[in-house]
Amino acid sequence: MKTNIRANRNYHEALALWAVMALFALSSCSSFLDVEPTDRYTEDNYWDTEERAAASLNGVYASLLHNGLYGGTSPLYFENLSPNTYRYQGDHNLVAQGLHDANTGLFNTVWQGAYQGIGRANDFLANIDRVEMGEDLKKRYIAEAKFLRAVFYFPLWHLYGGAPLILDAPDDATQAGLPRNSAEELYAQILRDLDEAAVDLPETYGASDKGRATAGAALAFKTRVLLYAGQWAAAAETAKRVIDAGTYGLFPDYRGLFFLENEGNQEVIFDVQFRFPEFTHGFDINLDQYNNIAPLPDLVDDYYDIQGKPISQSSIYDPARPYENRDPRLQATVIVKGSLFKGSVVTDDQYPRTGYGQKKYTVFKDDTPAATIPDGQSELNYILLRYADVLLMYAEAQNEANGPDASVYDAINEVRARAGMPPVDETLDQDGLREEIRHERRIELAGEGFYYYDVRRWGIAPDVLNGDIYNDKGERIDTRRFNPQRDGLWPVPAIAIQENQALAQNEGYGN
Amino acid sequence: MRRRRFSVPFIRGLSFFTGLSFFIVSAALTSVSAQETKPLVNSTLDGVVIDAVTKEPLAGATLQLEGVTHSTKTDRDGKFRFVTGQRFPYTIIVSYIGYKADTVVAQASPITIALEPDATGLDEVVVVGYGTQKKASLTGSVAVIDAESLANRPITNATQALQGAGGVYVNQPKGRPGAEGNTIRIRGVGTLNNNAPLVLVDGVEYPLADVNPNDIESISVLKDGASAAIYGNRAANGVVLVKTKTGQKGRFQADYNMYFGTQRATFTPDVVTDAVQYMEGKNRALAGEGKPPEYPADLIEEYRSGTDPFIYPNTNWFDVMYRDAPIQEHNLRLSGGGEQTTFSLSLGYLQQEGVLLATDAKKYTLNSNLQSDLTDWLRVGATIGGTYWNDRESAYSADEGNGEGGIMGLLYRGLPMQVPYAQDGSYADQWVRVPGHNFFRNPLALSYEGFRRNLRYRTLANLFAEVKLPFGLTYKITAAGNLLNAQEKYAYPQIALTNPKTGVVTPMGNIPARGVQQISRSAVSITNFHTLSYRKTWGSHALDGLAGFSIERFDNGNFDAYNQGYLGNELTELDAGSTAPEVGGTSSQSRLQSYFGRVNYNFGDRYLLEATVRYDGSSRFAKGNRWGVFPSFSAAWRLDQESFLDDALWLDNLKIRASWGRLGNQEIPLFSYVNAVNLGQDYSFNGQVVPGTAVTQITDASISWETTTMTNIGFDFLAFQGKLSLEADVFEKKTTEILRQVNIPAQVGNLTGPFRNIGAVSNKGVEVAASYQDKLGDFSYRIGGNVAYVRNKVLDVKGNVYYDGNTIIRAGDPIDAFFGLQSDGLFQNEAEVEAHAYQAASTQPGDIRYVDQNGDDVIDNDDRIVIGNSIPKYTYGFTLSGSFRGFDLDFFFQGVARVNTYTNGNLAFPYRNGAGVTKAWLTEAWTPENPQASLPRLTTSSGYPQNYLTSDYWIQDASYLRLKNVQLTYRIPAEWLGRIHVKSLRIFVNAQNYLTFTDFKLGDPERNLTRANLIEYPNYKTISAGVNLSF
Repeated sequence: MKTNIRANRNYHEALALWAVMALFALSSCSSFLDVEPTDRYTEDNYWDTEERAAASLNGVYASLLHNGLYGGTSPLYFENLSPNTYRYQGDHNLVAQGLHDANTGLFNTVWQGAYQGIGRANDFLANIDRVEMGEDLKKRYIAEAKFLRAVFYFPLWHLYGGAPLILDAPDDATQAGLPRNSAEELYAQILRDLDEAAVDLPETYGASDKGRATAGAALAFKTRVLLYAGQWAAAAETAKRVIDAGTYGLFPDYRGLFFLENEGNQEVIFDVQFRFPEFTHGFDINLDQYNNIAPLPDLVDDYYDIQGKPISQSSIYDPARPYENRDPRLQATVIVKGSLFKGSVVTDDQYPRTGYGQKKYTVFKDDTPAATIPDGQSELNYILLRYADVLLMYAEAQNEANGPDASVYDAINEVRARAGMPPVDETLDQDGLREEIRHERRIELAGEGFYYYDVRRWGIAPDVLNGDIYNDKGERIDTRRFNPQRDGLWPVPAIAIQENQALAQNEGYGN
Repeated sequence: MRRRRFSVPFIRGLSFFTGLSFFIVSAALTSVSAQETKPLVNSTLDGVVIDAVTKEPLAGATLQLEGVTHSTKTDRDGKFRFVTGQRFPYTIIVSYIGYKADTVVAQASPITIALEPDATGLDEVVVVGYGTQKKASLTGSVAVIDAESLANRPITNATQALQGAGGVYVNQPKGRPGAEGNTIRIRGVGTLNNNAPLVLVDGVEYPLADVNPNDIESISVLKDGASAAIYGNRAANGVVLVKTKTGQKGRFQADYNMYFGTQRATFTPDVVTDAVQYMEGKNRALAGEGKPPEYPADLIEEYRSGTDPFIYPNTNWFDVMYRDAPIQEHNLRLSGGGEQTTFSLSLGYLQQEGVLLATDAKKYTLNSNLQSDLTDWLRVGATIGGTYWNDRESAYSADEGNGEGGIMGLLYRGLPMQVPYAQDGSYADQWVRVPGHNFFRNPLALSYEGFRRNLRYRTLANLFAEVKLPFGLTYKITAAGNLLNAQEKYAYPQIALTNPKTGVVTPMGNIPARGVQQISRSAVSITNFHTLSYRKTWGSHALDGLAGFSIERFDNGNFDAYNQGYLGNELTELDAGSTAPEVGGTSSQSRLQSYFGRVNYNFGDRYLLEATVRYDGSSRFAKGNRWGVFPSFSAAWRLDQESFLDDALWLDNLKIRASWGRLGNQEIPLFSYVNAVNLGQDYSFNGQVVPGTAVTQITDASISWETTTMTNIGFDFLAFQGKLSLEADVFEKKTTEILRQVNIPAQVGNLTGPFRNIGAVSNKGVEVAASYQDKLGDFSYRIGGNVAYVRNKVLDVKGNVYYDGNTIIRAGDPIDAFFGLQSDGLFQNEAEVEAHAYQAASTQPGDIRYVDQNGDDVIDNDDRIVIGNSIPKYTYGFTLSGSFRGFDLDFFFQGVARVNTYTNGNLAFPYRNGAGVTKAWLTEAWTPENPQASLPRLTTSSGYPQNYLTSDYWIQDASYLRLKNVQLTYRIPAEWLGRIHVKSLRIFVNAQNYLTFTDFKLGDPERNLTRANLIEYPNYKTISAGVNLSF
């Protein structure tokens, strides 16, 4: 082979070039394609520390913020399904008008929210044993998850009347085709979870954990479930345990109960936690500016006068000044024309839907001017369980189970006294007291999203959810329809049936 | 010995390739230097090369001594001096792009050589995967767009350049400056996820939209499996290869192109702008739902008699917000080269005002290309280019994701009772309270106050070295980096609105608090590939081979921050705010590793064979599912070269092609195979945020790429000196193991469904392109057209049915077919309602009657059927051009046929959640007096959903034929220009999108066909004029 100097130089250049190429080739063995994610854990490497167990449990709580459950403005919109309030449009109004079907979005949103929470709770419960941590804390975490699972199963039981009962970690292969379980099976599971939770949950928490499920929350929620199921004696007994524990009491100021500065006060048993700017909702804009939860005269007229008499029987009620001398809870709950709100007098067309706005759950004070709070910037906690509710649940359950004994009067009168209302007429019989308790529930809890459940379980929905509704001038604003053959239960969402044909539809609804 | 050192540790064929290459490189370098040829005689040939027709000199023509590689090129005057070292006579081969190569026997010096222009284009060189090929010897199906066909058109986005290429469907749905969002589909929709083709600029993956159209020399679209298979697991949707311009040896040229134009929206909705009509119509719609009127009679009366145009306006918001917008573009390119080195330098500037108020984009591009023959065996080169975009629009961006909250969404909610300005020139509030529209988010104010600014700097550096080795081998290494750095800033303003009636000033409601969000994005992709190519001819045989190896790495990251607490709208830096700061950011990486090869065999230009293979590995899949083999085979037979057609002198080319290839598609989100526990599922306790995690998605670790197998049979026919050309292809594209994100029942933890390989889809189609060109005296003309027919069908989805909103995927139907109820006219009376299957308690005359498909006497989801198709069955285009004494006139039409779109939302449906209504609803809705109405009875669409269920009543025919482009050009005669040292000067006027034929009434038919709502930045039509100047 003939060489010269130039060729030698070329040879070395070529070697260098080749070395670069070989380097590329070397660096690219099969490991070149091994790329691990840096923004997420995997199910294999996650379940390790107590810290991560805590974070997983927090993720279950986060499902409470799902739009179908307690996120957005959802819990307050539930009031629009009841005779208390009205919105001129949206899914809740379609349901109120009886124009809904299985495609109506609301049914799917709630269904999805419930199963998201259930799936997360199940995943936590299935994996928590892989984590080595203190046994006490682990027990408490498990109890919190069970409490939450019960909360998530609640709408599936009560609104839909049964749904697939799933207690294992989400698994497409085994769970996607499951049919519905009966309402009774769900009910039993909810009670089981709440009973187990109540055992291991603490009465209270330190400041940094405030907002977590407590034993009282589990019992109070159990009371609600038993009450809704008509299990009067058990409901009364469970409510009494909450009352007797002495952990909770009524907050002295009914309106102040819903102020930001009083969040987590002694009356709050369990509230869904919000915080600006991360976890927010649209209560203020929907209540005040949009008038999307507009109290109906049917509710406003149901408030007694200050002496505890219905306005139809009142001696002090003046139709010309209809908001004077009324139960103080009226103006703590409803914004009325001519009153002071946000530092100015409410004008005639400020709340155009019905003439009224809902004050409860706005953060605005009557005497303080305030700027609009844009959608998604409100942060007031939503109270799922409060002590006044427990007292009224006790009263109702005890009255049904054992008749109007003194403890029933005590309970209802305690609630009325806090509002500044006189005690109930003590001569009422069981039926009379039942009416009084029901009225008290409507007034005390108005605007909180619970009355829809009450009218359904009391069997009065066909009466109070049918017919025209009116604004404060007596003009018809809409017509509502409730079909007792169909509307006692919600339809299984069409989209859920589409994805799983094994789901049977409720009577009266198409697929 | 050295070979062994390299061969041991390598696997998967790398060792062989590496060792072989090393051996070859070493061997070659020694032999190259040994091969220096000494001239026998010191003989020189002088001469000039001219155009046989015009007699003009040809600069840059190549002269090569037959049998030797020794060559030279002509200078700018067409002259050459060729030191041949041969005795006369000898044969030289003269070639020049666009001319027929000629073989000349040189008897003496000097010599004049006249080249005939080549009208047939058969010698044209086409860019193919990792190389080039003569068009005549292609065996696959490749569509080519050259610079000439792109010249002059005011193309703001290089994707528009593909319009008109056969089998390529380019949809330009909107004219949002800097973000036009054009989609390219090659041979239909083959997959259920990303259908965008792979775009490579000079061999490196790069977004087509960021290429300056003026820098494009040619674009090849690799349509069939055989052409594209060398790009393996990213090639299933076709491959678009862009070659940028380079300089030419021996001549210096300066080109300056510019145009000015004006743009206008192609479509404005026929919306009710008379406030009284609007209010009366709304009351009527509510009455249809049994609701009381919303607008009291006294208000309507007040409005009717009101005279102050600020208090009683009849505003057409589209008139307020749309405008005639100027556009201009300037491009300067300097190119040239010496004996060894060529260069091309270009600068571009585009300034486009949007047709929507206060939107604009500026684009600056630069591109440099340098190539040098350092020695006769080493060639190096680099292309380094950059694009800088600067877009501005409202902080309430017109981006799709913003929907109704975006500026277009607000515009589609504009009402006649709203007015942009109050009497004193301040931004106006509304005074008529509109339910569902409680706050007036004045679109004009939101356009002028605050902003979204998107700055993007993208640069591509692409370096190569090419080494000629003995035995006909060439080694090429390419290394490239593609870097994107983007900064997006949203400045959300606080705006005061004046009530024109009361004068009361209030802050605009329901908008995010005043604040600034800034997002930084970066994307870096590094590509490195090596190819070794081989060429050998003996007798009538020619063999080409290519082997290669490539690695690619893609890094993406973003960082964003947000702040509130600003003291005014003026300052828009993050530091100027003080409260509620938020921060976020993430990064990701993916990698590809590939080996590929190709063999071409050519026998006498008659029989052409090609085979390719690619072995691809991708980090997007789990170990064990990463690697795939993508082979292809193709063959062609040129009948015109056969002896039995020797007498057919009229025939230039007749070629039959057949190909088969297998391709892949891996376009799914990163880590789709990972069972992830996601972060960010946080909560708060007592006002303190606590971190939360959750499984939010089901995953399928077994997923792998989807496989597309494409079979293609076609022929090329060219006759009468290239006057008549015909090309036809029949293809079947079958995609199996399609990747799709599937929905799973919510009862499984309400999790997002997994990506799965779900099934198979077929696209069968035919493409035909034909053209004819001729001369009649001074008048020459060309007519050409192409049509593609594609039939899309889901073959098998493993027995499943996949639903997504109003579309369905199931065996036997086209992908994502529209799925809904079938309508059967309108109910005319109660008796008809009674007699029909139960629809709803509220059903009444004037409502849509739906067909009870399953006969169960109830209308529900079980009665749905396939009601339309979102993939055009036919796409076609045609061009007409004529030229006469320096004048050129060109028309380009594009159309689609047999396709549907489904529309809903504001202005498609009436009075939706407080939005407006089109005039048709007030005049053509059903009433007892108008039983033959085209629309059902008037209700609001949000308050009475029954008539607005997904049904064929609302399916629209989206076929159209559009004059995309018409252009008149005048070439200033050369004799006038010589004196001022100008080589050529052309002036032109151009109109785009000026004529459209369609039945679609609700928007521009060239839309995103699967988008239901109408809210989209408007498409535009342009009139422009400009010059092309060359020195």
